[in-house]
Amino acid sequence: MRVPAFADRDWRTGWAFAAPGLLTLAVVMGFPLVYAGLISLSSLTLLKPMLQPFVGLKNFATVMADPLFWSALWLTIKYSLVTVLGEFVVGLGIALMLNRTVTMKPVYFAVLTIPMAMSPVSVALIWRMLLQPNLGIANQVMESLGLPRIDWLGNADLALWTMAAIDIWQQTSFVVLILAAGLASLPRDPYEAAEVDGATPLQQFWYITLPMLRPVAAIAVIIQLINEFRTYDLPYILTKGGPGNATEVLSFFAYRRAFLGLSLNEGAAAAFVLLLIVLGLTILFFATLERRR
Amino acid sequence: MQLKCSLKAALLGATLLATAGSAHAQNVTLRALMEDVPETQIIEKLLPEFEKETGIKVEFEKIGYGDMHDKLVAQLVSPESYYNVLEVDFLWAGEFPTAGWLENLNPYIAKSGFDLKPFIPSMLELLGQTKDATPILPMYNYSMGLIYRTDLLDDAKVKADYKAKTGKELALPKTLAEYVALSKFFKAGGSVVGAAMQAQRGDPNAMEFSNYLFSSGGAYLDAGRKVVLNSPEGLTALKLYADNVQNGAQQGALSATLDDTMRLMCAGKAFSMVTYWWMLPQLDSKEKCPEVAGKLALSVMPGGHGESGGWGWGIPKNTSDESKAAAWKFIEWVQGKKVSIARAMEGHAPVRSDVFEDAAVLKKYPFYKTGLDIVASGKSFPIFAYSAQYEDVLGAQLSLAAGGQAKPEDALKAAADGLTQLLAK
Repeated sequence: MRVPAFADRDWRTGWAFAAPGLLTLAVVMGFPLVYAGLISLSSLTLLKPMLQPFVGLKNFATVMADPLFWSALWLTIKYSLVTVLGEFVVGLGIALMLNRTVTMKPVYFAVLTIPMAMSPVSVALIWRMLLQPNLGIANQVMESLGLPRIDWLGNADLALWTMAAIDIWQQTSFVVLILAAGLASLPRDPYEAAEVDGATPLQQFWYITLPMLRPVAAIAVIIQLINEFRTYDLPYILTKGGPGNATEVLSFFAYRRAFLGLSLNEGAAAAFVLLLIVLGLTILFFATLERRR
Repeated sequence: MQLKCSLKAALLGATLLATAGSAHAQNVTLRALMEDVPETQIIEKLLPEFEKETGIKVEFEKIGYGDMHDKLVAQLVSPESYYNVLEVDFLWAGEFPTAGWLENLNPYIAKSGFDLKPFIPSMLELLGQTKDATPILPMYNYSMGLIYRTDLLDDAKVKADYKAKTGKELALPKTLAEYVALSKFFKAGGSVVGAAMQAQRGDPNAMEFSNYLFSSGGAYLDAGRKVVLNSPEGLTALKLYADNVQNGAQQGALSATLDDTMRLMCAGKAFSMVTYWWMLPQLDSKEKCPEVAGKLALSVMPGGHGESGGWGWGIPKNTSDESKAAAWKFIEWVQGKKVSIARAMEGHAPVRSDVFEDAAVLKKYPFYKTGLDIVASGKSFPIFAYSAQYEDVLGAQLSLAAGGQAKPEDALKAAADGLTQLLAK
């Protein structure tokens, strides 16, 4: 009789522990994904809710033939890059300040968590009221400062960036929390050595803090990038994709196809394109991270 | 002995089952997803009466219009709908019956002897009644007209300014072009904007523009359901619409919804708004809008025709028979003459001609006479399976034209092509 090696037993135990979680994941995440995949390859619409006949990649071709799809994709890319960059820069600045703060730290963290704890729908509604061009507080403040009133969400050149600013306001606290945790865990030795060598605070930040913080920062960036690519609540509440198509991001495009156009199959195809982009980005990001290690 | 006991037990079981069954029927709770508007509140106040009469409990879940369609569709495609009585917009009157989600109400009407004759025929037609089926019973109409400020129109200084600038006497505009010119005049004056406009992409601007289209003599479809939107009248309407958004309306009109325009009008910051005719008492109220109370009037859309719309009641197919019976009982009650008059006394927009003609109603609300004119002269947005999607297609083009991102000619052509494609789908 062969006695299982320690490694074999360890392997089995590992699978036994992981199995319930994996099974739950397969049911909760796997099943909807597979079902959505099937829908995207079928002729199913809300008016004809049948998975048959199978139409191959026709829905993907239909969606991609729509110029609005490409406009939505480009807007999504612009929006995601700007919001993630904004969240990272502001978040890193706040995290660095908090890292140096000694007193009242828990209070600062509690205050910073408030936007993150709010639902995006509530955030959008609050900002919609604040930015209301005629009766909102933002324009009253502008006016009292002698500045012109701004059409924050009704101007096609401005609406996307207003939305991005609201998003940055809400999501930055998440980046702050991750980066602050990362900063707190950095070893002190390299800094002490750098101080002995006469490095300035800026040099310490550039040559020590940033490189050592890279893995944590990468996690924050990738999570936020995925979040931003999926943004739906803000355009839905703030602009409904308008003015014109100025804020129609890809997730909103998919929603319109599925629920206004009743073409669940085309909506699923658009959503899958979004999923593939996010998946590609994730893989690329982790591959880059591995190479630099 | 054993047989006797078994018989007794069987009898007891049958009695218990029968009791449980009847109790179940009486204990049906009707749940409806309702738009959060005055009509809903008016009915809500009367619900205790219905519950007292029938023992059937009714629960209203009130939300904004923009979220209703998706929430309802999710329930209607599920095995059993949570909502067992439906409030259905006329824009869905093509989609819901085509998808097979609604019961045909004709058998219920026939069985209960409910009289449909007093219902305004155009309302029944608007909500999809055919020779063979009545999928939706009209609930209230939301035809659109012009609400305007009489104090500004009668103001001596404003009159003199207007005469000096245009050489004409200041009066209520008779055509759409006159209305837009007047709106621009007020905005140029600086104290109020000419029009509180709801030009957000989608339902808000599609509904608002329809008034401009019909007032200009344009249409979406001809009698043979051929698309005729891209016409000289349509272009005039779109140019005037874009002109008013840019030069007559409030800042931010392109992202404004009905709520925004109501707030603006209520605050006394606008001369006029194109809106649902029954909004007049909401604005002309000392408690709610002291700035403008007693200073407002209603008229048919300048040009003679506005957008006509309406809500109705439907019964989803994917509910139990007990629920369906209870839902019809409620619909029959709420749309009956007695309750319709009681609702009208609180500001309901009737769908029955006998309510419009009721002496007590007219005495309390003399403007209902104008309301009837607005309903009678109203025209409808195209109703078909993809009406909701068409609102979005049209809304995007209107928004592009009104925001100066597209030429009105191109936007109108794209909107007409979109309609042709969706009709052929």
